[in-house]
Amino acid sequence: MIKEQSILLDKLENSLDSSSKVKKEAWEMLQEVGLPSQKSESYKYTQITSILEKKADFDLVEQKTFDKKELYKTSGSHLVVINGVFSKPDSLVESGVFVDTEEVTEGKHDPFSLLNTAFSPEEITIKTKGEVSPIFLYQVNSVGFSNPRIKVSAGKSQEISIVEKSINESNTFCNSYISFDLDENSKINYSKIQAYNEDSLVHETIFAEQLRDSRFYSNIFTFSGGLVRNNITINLADENCVGYMNGLYILDGKSHVDNNTSVDHLKPNSYSNELYKGILDEKSTGIFNGKIYVRPDAQKTNAFQTNNNILLSENASIHTKPQLEIWADDVKCSHGCTSGQLDEDAIFYLRSRGISEKNAKAMILNAYAAETASYIPVKELKEEVEHLISNKLI
Amino acid sequence: MLTIKNLHASIEDKQILKGINLEVKAGEVHAIMGPNGSGKSTLASVLAGKESYEVTDGEVLFEEKDILDLSPEDRARLGIFLAFQYPIEIPGVTTTNFLKTALNQVRESRGEKTLDAVNFLKMMKEKMKLVEIDQSLLSRSLNEGFSGGEKKRNEIFQMAMLEPKLSILDETDSGLDIDALKIVANGVNTLKSSTTATIVVTHYQRLLDYIVPDFVHVLYNGKIVKSGDKTLALELEEKGYDWIKTDVAEVV
Repeated sequence: MIKEQSILLDKLENSLDSSSKVKKEAWEMLQEVGLPSQKSESYKYTQITSILEKKADFDLVEQKTFDKKELYKTSGSHLVVINGVFSKPDSLVESGVFVDTEEVTEGKHDPFSLLNTAFSPEEITIKTKGEVSPIFLYQVNSVGFSNPRIKVSAGKSQEISIVEKSINESNTFCNSYISFDLDENSKINYSKIQAYNEDSLVHETIFAEQLRDSRFYSNIFTFSGGLVRNNITINLADENCVGYMNGLYILDGKSHVDNNTSVDHLKPNSYSNELYKGILDEKSTGIFNGKIYVRPDAQKTNAFQTNNNILLSENASIHTKPQLEIWADDVKCSHGCTSGQLDEDAIFYLRSRGISEKNAKAMILNAYAAETASYIPVKELKEEVEHLISNKLI
Repeated sequence: MLTIKNLHASIEDKQILKGINLEVKAGEVHAIMGPNGSGKSTLASVLAGKESYEVTDGEVLFEEKDILDLSPEDRARLGIFLAFQYPIEIPGVTTTNFLKTALNQVRESRGEKTLDAVNFLKMMKEKMKLVEIDQSLLSRSLNEGFSGGEKKRNEIFQMAMLEPKLSILDETDSGLDIDALKIVANGVNTLKSSTTATIVVTHYQRLLDYIVPDFVHVLYNGKIVKSGDKTLALELEEKGYDWIKTDVAEVV
C-alpha cells in the first residue's frame, strides 16, 4: 500500500518547485501522511488513490482553446481561470471587485489540500468593496493535472455572490481548493455547477471560515463526472453565524459522486442547515457523509441535516452516513437520511389523469429536486439549474 | 359504454375479483356497494389501470375496445376517470401545473389544440365554481396538507377539467361531512349528461340520496351478488350487509 502511494507521489516529485518554502513543507507533510489508503474511513467508498493510479496521467499537457461564448452573458464580473492560472485578458472585472494573484499560502493539512498547496501555480484572491454584482468564475482544466487555488475574502459587512462553472476535459485530474473568509456580518453565497466529462476526475476542497454574524451559503449541483469528490467544510468560528449547505446530485451512467461535508460549531448561538438530495440512475454511485461537530463552547447551537435519495435503477447505489458529535448540552440538532424508490402510487395518480409515465416521473423528480435550488441568489443561474434538472430528468 | 365480462384480478397472488360482470351504458349511474374488503376499490383501480393488480381472466371493453392492455394514461385519454379514495399528496407539484400538463396531454392525444395559459385559466375559473374550490388551494402543492373535504373536491374539480366519458368515484363520500358531500354530489350531477356515465363506489347509502343511481349492485367476496334499482340501497341501509352475506351463504 505504501509502495502504491509512493508511485503516484514519485511521479510528481520532479515537478515540485522546491524554491517555495510553503510548497516544500506541504510536500514533506504529504510524504508523511500519504494519499488515502484503501483503509481510509473517509475515502471508504471512493478508492481515489488506486483510481488515480490507474487513470490519471500527470504528464499529459494538452491546452485546449476555450470557448468564450458562454462568458459575459449576464451582468457582473467574469473571471477566467485556466489550469489554475488567472487569465486577465479573458476576464471582465467590474469596479469594486479586486482580483490578485500571489504565491500559494499554507492551506488545510489533509492529503489533497497539501497536494494542492504543493503544486498550485498561484493563489488567486478575490476581494470586494461596496456593493457588487455577482461574480462568475469560469475554470478551464485541460491539462492532465491541475491545482486551482482560489481565496475569496468578504470584508466586514460585504456581500458577495459567486457562481462557478468548470470545464474539465477528459482524462484529467483536477484537484481544486477554494476557501472563503467571512469577516464580521459579511455574507457569501457560493453556487457551483458540476457537469463534468464522464472521464474526468475531480477532487474539490471547499472551505469556509466564518466570523461573528456572518452568513455562508453553498449550493452545489452535480450532474456528471467520472469521479467527483467534494470536501466541504464550514467552520462557524464565532457567535451568531449562519451556514447553509445545499446540494443536489442527479447521476446516471457510471458517475461516481462523493460528498463529504463537515460543519463545525465552535461558538454559541450559531445556526447551520444542510440539505442534500440525490437522484441516482443506471450504474451511478452516490456517497454522502455529513459531519456536525458541536464543541463544548457552542451552547444554543441549532444544527440540522437532511439527506434524501431516490434510486431509479437496481444498479445504482447510495452510501449515506450522518455523523454527529456533540459536546455542548444545550443544543438543537437533528439529522435524517432516506433512500428509496419513486412513489409508485404518486406516479399512478398522475398517469390516471392522462400524463405519460415519463412525464409523471419527471414531474415528481423535478419537484423533489427543485427545493435545493431555492437558495441560489442569481436569477439566471437558478433558471439554468432548473433547466439542467429538467433536461436531465426527461 | 363499458362492458365487464368475467373479470378476475389478484394482487400478490391473492385473488380479489372473482368474476365480475357489468354493463354500463351512456347516461347511466351505477352504484357499487358492499362491505369492506369485498373488492370495490380493487375494481375501481383495475378499471383505471393500476399495475400492481394482475388481471387473471376476463375482459373489459370501453366503447367496444379492449382496454386491459392499455396504460393508465391511455385509458385516461380515452375518457376514463378515477376519483381516488385517498388522493395522493405530491409535494412541489401545484394542482394548476399538474392539471395543465394533464389536460394538454389528453387534448394532444385526441388531436385537439393544447390550451394556452389564458384559456386554461379561463376554463379553470369556470370549473372552480362547480365544486366551490378556492384558487389559493390550486396554487399549492397537489393535495399536500389539504383537508379530507378539500382533497375530494379537488378530485371532482379534476374530473370537471378533464371532462371524462366514464367517471368512477371510489368512496368519494367517505370522511365527508354533509355540506362537503352536497358540494361534491352537486358537482357530479352537473357534469352528468346523456353521453357520460358514472360508477359510484360506496360503502354507505347516504351519498345515493344526492347522486341518484339507476342501478345498484352489491359486491361481495369478489362477485356481484345482487343487483337492483335504488331501493336496493335503502334496503341495505336498513338491514346491513349481514343480510346479503347470509343470503349468499344460503345460495351456496
